[in-house]
Amino acid sequence: MLVQVPGGWNPLLGRLAIDQIPYTNPILAPLFVAVVIGAVIILGLITYYHKWGYLWKEWLTTVDHKKLGVMYIILGLVMLFRGFIDGLMIRTQQVWANGPQSSGVFGAVHGYLTPFHFGQVYSAHGLIMILLAATPLLVGFMNIIVPLQVGARDMAYPYLNALGLWITAAAVALIMISLFVGDFAHNGWFGYAPIFELQYSPGVGVDYWIWTLELTALGTTLGGINLIATIVKMRAPGMTWFRLPIFTWASLSANIIALTSFPALQVALFLVACDRYLGSHFFTAGFGGNLMLYTNLFWIWGHPEVYFVILPAFGMMSEIFPAFSEKPLFGYITMVAASFAIAGVSWLVWLHHFFTMGAGPDVNSFFSVATMLVGIPTGVKVFNWAFTMYRGRITYTAAMLWAIGALFLLLVGGLTGMMLAIPAINYMVHNSVFVIAHFHSMLLVIVYAIFGSVLFWFPKVFGFKLDEFWAKTMFWLFSAGSVLVFVPMYMLGFMGQTRRLDYVFNTAWHPYLVTEEIGIAVYCLSVAAFFVLLYVSIRDRVKNRVGQDAWGTSRSLEWLTHSPVPFYNFAVTPHVNARDELAWRRHNGINEAQPTQYVDIHMPNNTGVAIYIGALTFVLGFALTWRMWWLCLLSLVAIIALMIVRSWRGDPGYIITAAELEKMEREAMQRQQQVEGHLPHHGGQAVPGGAMAYEGQKVSPLGTPPSSGGDHH
Amino acid sequence: MSAHDSPDPSKAVLWDTHYHGHDVISTRSFGYFLYLLSDGMLFATLFAAYGVLSYSHSYFNGQTPADFVHPWYTFTQTVALFLSVLAYGMGMSAVKKGNKAGLMNGLIAAFVLGVIFLGLDIHDMMDLAAHGVTVQTSGGASAFIVLTQVHAAHIFFGLLWILVMMAQVAAKGFTTDTVGRLLSLRMFWHLQAIIWVFVFVFVYLWGYMS
Amino acid sequence: MSHGHDNPILHPEVQMSSTRGYFTGFLISLVLMAAATAMVSSHAFPPFGLLMVITICAAIAIIAQIYFLLHIDVSEHNIWNTVSLVLFIPLFIFTIGLTWWMFSQLYLRTMPMMPGMH
Repeated sequence: MLVQVPGGWNPLLGRLAIDQIPYTNPILAPLFVAVVIGAVIILGLITYYHKWGYLWKEWLTTVDHKKLGVMYIILGLVMLFRGFIDGLMIRTQQVWANGPQSSGVFGAVHGYLTPFHFGQVYSAHGLIMILLAATPLLVGFMNIIVPLQVGARDMAYPYLNALGLWITAAAVALIMISLFVGDFAHNGWFGYAPIFELQYSPGVGVDYWIWTLELTALGTTLGGINLIATIVKMRAPGMTWFRLPIFTWASLSANIIALTSFPALQVALFLVACDRYLGSHFFTAGFGGNLMLYTNLFWIWGHPEVYFVILPAFGMMSEIFPAFSEKPLFGYITMVAASFAIAGVSWLVWLHHFFTMGAGPDVNSFFSVATMLVGIPTGVKVFNWAFTMYRGRITYTAAMLWAIGALFLLLVGGLTGMMLAIPAINYMVHNSVFVIAHFHSMLLVIVYAIFGSVLFWFPKVFGFKLDEFWAKTMFWLFSAGSVLVFVPMYMLGFMGQTRRLDYVFNTAWHPYLVTEEIGIAVYCLSVAAFFVLLYVSIRDRVKNRVGQDAWGTSRSLEWLTHSPVPFYNFAVTPHVNARDELAWRRHNGINEAQPTQYVDIHMPNNTGVAIYIGALTFVLGFALTWRMWWLCLLSLVAIIALMIVRSWRGDPGYIITAAELEKMEREAMQRQQQVEGHLPHHGGQAVPGGAMAYEGQKVSPLGTPPSSGGDHH
Repeated sequence: MSAHDSPDPSKAVLWDTHYHGHDVISTRSFGYFLYLLSDGMLFATLFAAYGVLSYSHSYFNGQTPADFVHPWYTFTQTVALFLSVLAYGMGMSAVKKGNKAGLMNGLIAAFVLGVIFLGLDIHDMMDLAAHGVTVQTSGGASAFIVLTQVHAAHIFFGLLWILVMMAQVAAKGFTTDTVGRLLSLRMFWHLQAIIWVFVFVFVYLWGYMS
Repeated sequence: MSHGHDNPILHPEVQMSSTRGYFTGFLISLVLMAAATAMVSSHAFPPFGLLMVITICAAIAIIAQIYFLLHIDVSEHNIWNTVSLVLFIPLFIFTIGLTWWMFSQLYLRTMPMMPGMH
């Protein structure tokens, strides 16, 4: 039944053998040493400061949506860094291996990476950036913010939430270990048939790729279910559908996409696994298989996934623009409608990734028109943001700069996307770096929105603001890097450079490639600025402490509770009276009002089961990759057994009594008074509150802009 | 628009002390239903793959379902599965009255009938293998076998779950947890019957006739 | 909204189980499946007509099962299940339908026309 694999296999270790460890590789071996040293230092520090108990109790076993969200974001940032290093390696190889005269080192004829190694680098880069950086970052934000915005105490299923995180972490661990044990796929992040078939990729790289993707898909599906159920079932009293904050709407539409599309990815990869492990013929070139079926199944997921990552980013921008324009979001209803229109149309466009398959004019026209339709709701959004800023009292905080940057990138990426939607153009630039530049523009929208959100919501989660100067420095460096890398890339695309070149033959392109390399160097500076930003902000954290409403101009429910948010979120569930509840309360001078009476709260217990199951899914993925059948069976049985045990035990939860709650609330209130007593007065935000427009207010027509004075209420 | 009818701020309720939180059972069964729908998408994708790989060239001149499907044999599987689902439904009707023995009988009947379904399926697959039809034969055979066996795998895990629920109900009776899980399992088990209608009609029957 | 603290057996989602409904759903789908099996095994109609007939059988059986077994209706306790199912159905159709369409077009252009190809 199982296919024979080339090379050795033994029942105990499967395909794993000492020669699978690349200890002779001049890049990986030193890296491995560095990683080991780094890990020893970190583990040593944790032991030295006796933090293991704290780590286990407060973080690794937590079911608190905010802590899980923070861990998702840390995971995402680490992987963003790794993906960035991969990008740096790709750029360096291309600028080095340019023209027949270029030198080669480390066994490569040109440049410093052999074609096989280069293939692994770009495959890992793509996979990591989309699925292990952007997705965890966004899921992390949705985790933290959505329950707060709907006024819930936690997610609908806190334990499932933890499980989603640890399964995602297992996927991350799997792709990271592929650096040092065996190798990774060289078939591009989305894979091509038949190169990933066993016959053409006999190593374990493709297997690592399959199981990494499967685990991520599983984790994200679980997270999607949780968020949808939270939004549908856990809204606070008074939180009607059309009072939902816009980020929550965006998260809802995004998670509907995740829930519906990830199964397609799971099936596509499962069928690849069938081909590689059972010898079936889904995607083989002979025996009645169909190569393009794989591409089709993959992009059924792949295109909705693009919108799964962009819609929350749009939601983030929709929160940042009103807060720093001191105006309600323009066109709330159309914004919601646009999110769902994008989500709906995302299911009708996937063929535009393979127009060149040659399905014929009818099919190509249908998908071309559907793709162009995406431009309509996206255009609605762009105009809504512009009108939100129009005649607003704009404060150019670093968060606002990132959001505005995202808007510009969206224009660039969106308009080039419209070009690519035309099959005739698409045939010309298919698989050229023009396409690469286009989707990097779009994905940078997400990165910009994420950095904007990090700055915007950081004070909510940690209770102090990040340093504005270094945040702005990072923004300008990052933007300069983006321009320097991607403008030449668009040009090279038109000149005919195809993607994934490990050797660039045309020396006339050298200046462009050098410019891109300079851009990468500037990106490196921005990464350095980010670390300085973290250092400076943590150093000055006492000075930068904030109260509940960190910016004084934000609008939604999450700013109604303390910063940092207590583990029970809201001492008493808020009753929602208006769309922008906080703006409404602030406008009426009741934003400081606190509950007068407390009641007992029921909270879920922490559990270690989620992290155990996460660890076991990692073992399962590793065992499947190396074909250690006994270990596969063992870990699968252990996972099922743990699930049964957890289900048997259940979770009675625990009660925070009203008295305890009152004590904690009083302490929190005292801290806040201390903070607001010497809160620095920002020049840009002249109005401390009360003067901000909100949706229910009669805003005078355009003749008298709301920012013209405080006399309009 | 809701925002415009905001109440008078001086009288507005700002905090809801009497809010008791969400309905645990409804929230769980809704989430589980969402999972089942995504499971439905998994099958939809497999059906899409089967659609592409069920042309005559997909069988690479090997045997096609017209050669190896026996409609009445598979119909007995249909009967077993539908009866199992019916038995489970009867068990749930017993829960309505708090009748533990009635539920147990329903679960045992559902389990036995599910085992019969699975036994018939395994026998069918072994028969196919004996006639030289395996996943390695051709793209069409791969699609046929993987689609039907993914459904069978669902049945296998459902049977496991039925066993777990029998133990839980026997030990704990009807609590919020066990009743919630029985509801989820009900949806899971009924959905398998729905998926089976598609599998039976569009894979077995349609395969047989074309 | 406080059913969580009540007796779980009285929860509306438990109470909506109905023996009669389960029997009706069972009988309708079983009879339709038997009819489809009989027609197919005796090749009662030409292939295209047969496909239409068994598709209709399947459709009615599915609707009966969804209604009687999954209790998909517009009552207060099922409305969200119904809404999510209604949102999913077009996606199932897109996934299968568009895939089938694009590959039938592709085969039309790339595969030699073999007898019996549909």
